[in-house]
Amino acid sequence: MMIIIRRLAGHLARGFVMILVVATISFFIINNIPGDPMAARYEKLIEGGMAPEAAAQAVKVLYGFQPTGTLWQQYSDFMGGLLHFDLGVSVSRPGTPVLDVLTEAAKWTVLPVLVGTLLSFLVGVVLGVYAAIKRTGKLGDALAISGSLLHGIPQYVLALLLVVIFATLIPILPADGPVDILFDPGFNAGYIGSLVEHAVLPVVTYALSAYGGWVLAMKSSVVTVLGDDFILAAELRGMKRSIVFRYIARNAILPLFTILALSLGLLLGGAVFIEKIFNYPGLGLLLIDSVNDRDYALMGGAFLLITASIIVANIVADLFYTVIDPRVRSGEDAT
Amino acid sequence: MKRLAAVVALLGLATATACSSGSTNKSSSGGGGGLFTTIDVNRPGLDASAPANPYNPKGNSFSGFNAMRIAWVKNHLTDPNQALPGIAASWEIAPDNSAITLKLQPNAKWSDGKPVTAEDVKMSIGIAYTQGSTAFSVTPGAAGAAAEVTVVDPQTLKITQDMANPSPKFARGVLDTAVLPAHVWSGVLPADFWDKLKAARGEGADAEKARAEITTLGQKVLTFAPPKDVSAGPFVLERVNPGEALLVKNKNFYNAANVAPAQVKFLNYTGNEQIWNYLTAGKLDSSGFVAAPTDVMNRIKAAPGSEVIKGYSPVAVSMAFNQSKKPYDNVHVRRGLAYLIDRDQVTKVASPEGGTPAITTSGIHQKAAQAWIPDTLPKLEPYKPDVAKAEAEFKDAGLTKKDGKWLLADGKAWKVSMHAPAGFSDWLSAQENIKSQLIKAGVDAEVVTTTDYPLYLEELAAGKYDVGFWLMALGPAPYDIFQRLYGASNGWTNVAGKIEHSPAGKNGNWMGDPEQIEVDGAKINPGELTGKLNSATEDQAKPIMAQLATAANQDLPVIQLWDYVNNQFVNNSRFTGWPHDDEILRLGTGVLASGVWIQLGMVKSKQ
Repeated sequence: MMIIIRRLAGHLARGFVMILVVATISFFIINNIPGDPMAARYEKLIEGGMAPEAAAQAVKVLYGFQPTGTLWQQYSDFMGGLLHFDLGVSVSRPGTPVLDVLTEAAKWTVLPVLVGTLLSFLVGVVLGVYAAIKRTGKLGDALAISGSLLHGIPQYVLALLLVVIFATLIPILPADGPVDILFDPGFNAGYIGSLVEHAVLPVVTYALSAYGGWVLAMKSSVVTVLGDDFILAAELRGMKRSIVFRYIARNAILPLFTILALSLGLLLGGAVFIEKIFNYPGLGLLLIDSVNDRDYALMGGAFLLITASIIVANIVADLFYTVIDPRVRSGEDAT
Repeated sequence: MKRLAAVVALLGLATATACSSGSTNKSSSGGGGGLFTTIDVNRPGLDASAPANPYNPKGNSFSGFNAMRIAWVKNHLTDPNQALPGIAASWEIAPDNSAITLKLQPNAKWSDGKPVTAEDVKMSIGIAYTQGSTAFSVTPGAAGAAAEVTVVDPQTLKITQDMANPSPKFARGVLDTAVLPAHVWSGVLPADFWDKLKAARGEGADAEKARAEITTLGQKVLTFAPPKDVSAGPFVLERVNPGEALLVKNKNFYNAANVAPAQVKFLNYTGNEQIWNYLTAGKLDSSGFVAAPTDVMNRIKAAPGSEVIKGYSPVAVSMAFNQSKKPYDNVHVRRGLAYLIDRDQVTKVASPEGGTPAITTSGIHQKAAQAWIPDTLPKLEPYKPDVAKAEAEFKDAGLTKKDGKWLLADGKAWKVSMHAPAGFSDWLSAQENIKSQLIKAGVDAEVVTTTDYPLYLEELAAGKYDVGFWLMALGPAPYDIFQRLYGASNGWTNVAGKIEHSPAGKNGNWMGDPEQIEVDGAKINPGELTGKLNSATEDQAKPIMAQLATAANQDLPVIQLWDYVNNQFVNNSRFTGWPHDDEILRLGTGVLASGVWIQLGMVKSKQ
């Protein structure tokens, strides 16, 4: 237990430093992105028919939300705010705290990406084992081919294909946002049904696009383990098939847990194509919008959230490894 | 295999269950006078947490639906003050434009039942001052700014213009103002606001301080979130999620009996492709202008009930030159290029549905030009494609042709380098077409794409490009039209009504025209003439516009390529009665015209 606590403390300290370093780097990169968002806003207003002087004043008011002072002052304000979980206010959503904007968007990212990731992991791992064991048979080949094929199709192509089939040719599923506004939000069948209905295509797209990777990785991992001496020894000792299978699965799945943890860490980065095509207003789209709007505070907040989630996922993966793999624990003891 | 089949079957069952429960409830909630589905073309990306605030860029306030203006200014070719009734049922403009008197709708009420009064309008004007508006501006010397706002009685207001620098579009500036409920918003303005405003409109340090305070107040206005939407419009906001917004009929609206839909649904979109999909699927009852390539337009037109209404859009696109760069400082080079570019072909390739080829370069949309300068227009050089004339112009500029390629006067290679931001597909298609045309004529050319629009504008203003595309002729007011050619981008800035000129490369002057140019043998200062348009009456404006159009035609700071067309998409399957009148297809900044048509009772439910 002490080993795990010591490891956790070390990871947290390192993670904290990494977040500060990443926050510093991203602050200076973001604040040096070229482009004149005020001019773009002004152009948009006068294209809409606003008089030039009025548009100039409107832009001045809007961009009054931009931090002022020297870059170093802005940096020290930013880092000071960060320590209090204050990421500043958005310019594109005037005056709204960045943290609120991120929280709102995060829930629409977490739902499809988390469900899609877990679904693809479960299906992919099971079928990967099956493909490895039956690798000389037709079913094993078919599973391996399906994995390669789906792994090779770009996510946006898959998404568009599903939209064309299920939202246009056979219009049985919606592809226009997270939920139908006509239902009263709350714990009622209509609203929840609509949420599920709208989530089907994004989740399936995500699951299908990730499934191939899991199948192939699991198959390869199982095939490697199958060749290990301890499996041969177990078989020679006449152990039950189910026990041997457990040995195989437990050893083969270890590397996949690391990938899963990292995938879950990356999930807050959003799935830009899926969010765009299915009109799911998650973090990926928010990040793109913030870059287009040159909303520096929002950009910084989004990058930071993604970084922090990856760091946390790494820590979780490492601790999880300590728990599930005795070799890691004994290695720690040795030091 | 059996397990796999079971998983698939379960997934299918879950999907079917979800679909059936959703659609059952859906049909039960969308009854009444019908559901009207639309989008806000001005703002991609609904924000569920944004307030119902018309000044917030993400605000869930849809002008024409749940946000009202004093009146809805029309897209008239020559009279900027024409408007349709809004909260003001009628108005009277003084003959010398010195004042406007508004008479409010006698039965106007807010959605919470309280009456709309002149005090609401006065407070709304106060709010407008904090945001910047044509009529309600604290910028010293701004043309067409209001002087006094007086509540005559609960239904009447009088607003006078500061005649030190009057503008013929003063009334337009007043009418195009959002009206907000004082009982919800009044806390946003401090009690001494009107005294502060008076101070801000003066001179000296105190005035400067007051102006800064009002600008800061503007930020408070932008972020103000009413606890719930209180609307004087035909609809009131019910709820928003990140994909859609739902508005329901405001039973207190003064013309509620003639409002056809019971509910309005705004759909979210993140790009034009989604709007195209909505239109192709016949989901939208109405959508404002959105650019679409020919094949997409044909698919949209083929959707059941689909109709495209074409109207006047006071915008044109041009190929603009940086005259600080050689050889574009030479007018003969610019003219030569104008003779080489076939604008019909460019428009056909780049914007066949959304544009009409410019008949020539005049600085003004051809439709407006026919109304403003009908006698001058036929006299302008049309710059029809003519290789011989182009060669003669290039030779006059000292260019030489060697091995079929045009070289600079010093014998060095010449390449026309055109820039456009990524994502502006019509501009990029146009530039590719121009490139082909120029190369065919022996002028080397290239198209350079810039990452995005903010970067494009920054680099353009910094003078980094030789040639870029530039929106121009932004009407309907004459000053607004010509300041795109002879404004800040070409060196002339309007400071407190006084025109000042900066040399090329300074203060955002990237076009670099000389301060004075020769037109028909006489020297003129186009920036000063443009400045005069800010306060000129219609009769005074016409000769000035003729002079400026002639200057633009002879001097060619830009080559006008095509004039935009306002394509309004409507669907006749569920609603009818769409107007086809050019003047009311586009109504004020950020106004959703279909909301105005609905509130005026033009749109009818199809039985």
